[in-house]
Amino acid sequence: MITNIMLGGVGGQGLVLMTRIISQAALKAGYDVKSNDVVGLSQRGGMIWGNVRFGDKVYSPNIPPKEGDILVAMEPLEALRWTSELKDDGIIIMNTKRWYPMAVQQEKVNYPEEDIDNLKERYKVVEINTFEEAVKMGKKQISNVMLLGALAKQLSINTDIWKETIRDNVPRKYIDLNLEAFDYGYGFSG
Amino acid sequence: METMLEEKRVLTGNEAISRGFYEAGGKIAASYPGSPTVEIIEKIKEYEEVYAEFSTNEKVALEVAIGGSFYGVRSLAAMKHVGVNIAADPLMTFTETETNGGFVLVSGDDPGLASSQNEQDNRIFGKFANMAIVDPSDGQEAKDFTKRAFEISEEFHAPVMLRITSRLCHSRSVVRIEERKVPENKYGMDPNHEKYCMIPSSSRKAQFFMRERLEKLEEYAYDTDLNRLEQKEGTDTLIITSGLMYQNLKELDPEVSIWKLGLIYPISEKRAREIASQYKRVIVLEEMMPFIENELKLMGIACEGKKYFSFTGELHINHIEEGLHKAGVIQEKKTHDYELRDTVPRPPLFCTGCPHRPTFDIIKKSKAKIVIGDIGCYSLAHLPPFELSNSIISMGASIGIVKGLQKAMALHDDHEPLVAVIGDGTFFHSGIPGFINLLHQKKEKQNITIVVLDNRTTAMTGGQPNASSGLYNDRDDMKIGIKTLVESLGFDRIKEINQYDYKAAAQVFKEEIAHEGISIIVVNGPCALKYNLEEPYFYVDPHICISCRSCIKTGCPPLRMVKYEGIEKLKSSIDKDMCVGCSVCAQVCPVNAIKSSANIDREDEQIDH
Repeated sequence: MITNIMLGGVGGQGLVLMTRIISQAALKAGYDVKSNDVVGLSQRGGMIWGNVRFGDKVYSPNIPPKEGDILVAMEPLEALRWTSELKDDGIIIMNTKRWYPMAVQQEKVNYPEEDIDNLKERYKVVEINTFEEAVKMGKKQISNVMLLGALAKQLSINTDIWKETIRDNVPRKYIDLNLEAFDYGYGFSG
Repeated sequence: METMLEEKRVLTGNEAISRGFYEAGGKIAASYPGSPTVEIIEKIKEYEEVYAEFSTNEKVALEVAIGGSFYGVRSLAAMKHVGVNIAADPLMTFTETETNGGFVLVSGDDPGLASSQNEQDNRIFGKFANMAIVDPSDGQEAKDFTKRAFEISEEFHAPVMLRITSRLCHSRSVVRIEERKVPENKYGMDPNHEKYCMIPSSSRKAQFFMRERLEKLEEYAYDTDLNRLEQKEGTDTLIITSGLMYQNLKELDPEVSIWKLGLIYPISEKRAREIASQYKRVIVLEEMMPFIENELKLMGIACEGKKYFSFTGELHINHIEEGLHKAGVIQEKKTHDYELRDTVPRPPLFCTGCPHRPTFDIIKKSKAKIVIGDIGCYSLAHLPPFELSNSIISMGASIGIVKGLQKAMALHDDHEPLVAVIGDGTFFHSGIPGFINLLHQKKEKQNITIVVLDNRTTAMTGGQPNASSGLYNDRDDMKIGIKTLVESLGFDRIKEINQYDYKAAAQVFKEEIAHEGISIIVVNGPCALKYNLEEPYFYVDPHICISCRSCIKTGCPPLRMVKYEGIEKLKSSIDKDMCVGCSVCAQVCPVNAIKSSANIDREDEQIDH
């Protein structure tokens, strides 16, 4: 039994750290684990994705098409885009803060609000404006850790393992803030 | 924390190679940053016992590693696939010599071109250079094979290529950590001059040495445990594969036997025959070129491969299943078809506050319609909203190309102004010879404007330092001023401008593009990411905004046309949480509708440019 987690976002949002934390937490929980990151044009505002697979034995780091269990989307349009990787009854955890792509900014197309709204009909969607919450808490960068909290809620890995892994991966002076952000995401029910 | 009892970590392929180098007792490592292999040196730099550097280019990196190997220490050079082209000159001759300290060349190939200008298959290069080639399939093997590659290199006096693909470079998997063991090599430069002086007399002998070396390697390949036969009962089909393709194949678990190669060159002909003769069908599974397939065919072993699998792009699980289905090996397909949801695209773009943005906004509005591009973040100018680049070929190529283009145009009485752009990293990497060459047969009416985009870092690969970075921060040690350097070469028309001073910059561009000769503009502006540009945000006063969209056309991410309450027309707006305060939008605004939040208390006053 393999758990397949798909992640989508915008270059520069910190997706690589997300996949690293999930992978390390899975290893600590005793699973075999493999992940993918797309790195290269990673910081330039383009679409980016990553994934983590864990279970007893994982061969390929790639999730076979439409076998994603959970999609963690750091932006709504990217949630829409990567649903192609998700099972029909999959879960989407979404940061609702919009990053408008070039074609929308240049008024060539509209941001696909309706399609994004319709995702709720097919999937279980957990929507959190983690970016806004993070700004309120004083540090934009903790937005992703809130998503990790919401992800942890859907998985069976112990929260102590998550917190230990977060501790290992964030700057020392922001550990408490990050753990607070994790708790916010974990406790979110909206 | 280096506690060693069965410690496991999740490491990327790149990190695993770094760890393997460390555990193998490696001492010299050099690279030029290029995706997908950037992190190898970044990680190696963290080990104190090792000397590691990002060199000026891949050729220099390879040479630095050669020097280490000559002395007897284990040395590694890492580069992306196209980097090997730059390094090919020393490589093709170094490989003729008897390798002393173990030498490993890591080639990061990029099937599917995630971040490259071509998809060349460097296994061909490995063979061309008479190297042994190893091809790992996960992080554990990336580490183990790095160590084995050093052992093979020293045992056979051969340089070894560790070939890895971009997917595996960036894929994490579980790796067992072991201790560092430095081999007991004899150190010192060999006093025998003939050994490394590759003049024709020694190189002629070297041809025979290389052949013998390869023969010995082929004998070694016969029963090396780098290769593994996984036999399945009751099948008459054998799949030969290597690298990540093995893992993708295992995911499907078809009814076949698998010969997994770790050492992909040379392949033992004897062993290949023995194994192949046990099967009715032999199918080779590999990305890009039919390398293994061709090796087997040269041996006269009947096999198929590229008939069923694409010659380009990555082969994912579903592609492999499709190919094996076509081959009749898999009867019923289990995986779903892959279809990326068709929605609004999100191409990469200049970061918020990027100093390249004003430059390309100015060039777009200028009289120059032909722009010769180069490789770096500024390659993105090719995409909307600027769509400015008539060519992008290879590192540093813009300067040579613009000269040839201009000479050809002149022969046809075509005097359109030309612009060539090059970044600071690319300038130092391989641009300088192009500049020198411009001084040869220089004519009066060559209207070429060369824009050197000096953002003080090799930005595209994550902000590594380069030869001018030391001028702008205390961490980096090289302080070469680009303007000073080109001045000393003998160019007589060089301007240096601040990219963020939009109006002054626009004036300089106008004058230089109009100038009927070669002019160089060095545009300064620190990379907004690397140097953490964070100034007070700007905001739009919708009552002043005339909806002209001058700001929107710069494509800066926080900008957008929105509906304000009580105002009929759409007006510009800035997402204050994303804005870094570069001021470019405010400077292109014709009516001063965009203001700095630093001036929020004195809103009535004009913003000071």
